[in-house]
Amino acid sequence: MRSLLSSLRRLILGETWTIPLGVGASLGLAIVIRASLPSAAWEAAGGFCLAAFVLGVLAYSLRRTPRTRR
Amino acid sequence: MGAAAVAASVEMLEALAIVLAVGMTRGFRDAWVGAVTAAVGVVLLCLALGPALLGNADLHFLRVIVGTFLLLFGLEWLRKGILRLAGRRSRTSSYEEFLEEREALTEATPVSSGPDWAARLVAFKGVFLEGLEVGLIVLALGGAPGHLAPALLGAAMALVLVAAIGLLLHRPLRRLPETQLKLGVGVALTAFGTFFSAEGLGVEWPLSDLALLYLAGVYAITAWLAISVMAQAVPMAEPA
Repeated sequence: MRSLLSSLRRLILGETWTIPLGVGASLGLAIVIRASLPSAAWEAAGGFCLAAFVLGVLAYSLRRTPRTRR
Repeated sequence: MGAAAVAASVEMLEALAIVLAVGMTRGFRDAWVGAVTAAVGVVLLCLALGPALLGNADLHFLRVIVGTFLLLFGLEWLRKGILRLAGRRSRTSSYEEFLEEREALTEATPVSSGPDWAARLVAFKGVFLEGLEVGLIVLALGGAPGHLAPALLGAAMALVLVAAIGLLLHRPLRRLPETQLKLGVGVALTAFGTFFSAEGLGVEWPLSDLALLYLAGVYAITAWLAISVMAQAVPMAEPA
């Protein structure tokens, strides 16, 4: 049962906490920027901001990854 | 539909590998009992949770939730795909998984008579976990308005394809470029996730739905660059 729960956690959140925390931080940052920008500016550029944050999360998750079998 | 079909196919192939391994070592009756029980469990769980999760939510909030799940799945698949193609991890292979599972089950003590609960449990766990991932991806992709039918159709196509492969036994598993397929699914899910999350936060994408294409292009190019850089930094991993 414990191994099933552990597999479920890995299935939903992934192998590391970097991606779930990074996605959460990206969305939080996007909400803060949306609140501080004029509405038109956010509508036009907000998507690219979020895409840039997502790329940042991906790049960070790849840093210093040890070699593993699986 | 394409993203759902490919994502569901690769997950179902992994489940198929486990069921075949259990069936060939401990008997197909117990393997199918475990697999069918798990499949029914996943379908019931999705039928119970799907409408509750997607039914009454605010559209913007729903898009953010759907986008978040797609980003979680997509980025994880993208990360693993990059690491595998860069030689930091061994490449994924349902055939290798089949061999490992078969070896482990052969070493376990066989049951002389009655139901083989260990075999049923292994088949159940494999199909339940992979099936749940398929269910979550289909729910997430189908959660946006107008997307449920294509997502379900994609998953149905995947089921037919994988069932056909299962009927032809395990040999085709060897020929599938699973690592590349998973990387492609990672790119697609991350693009969908970014698109829906941003729309949920009030963004209007230039060129509307075509934004999915340029987002996928940016992520694919980034993945390719990351693979190139990381592959130069380390020697290739030994095969599993």
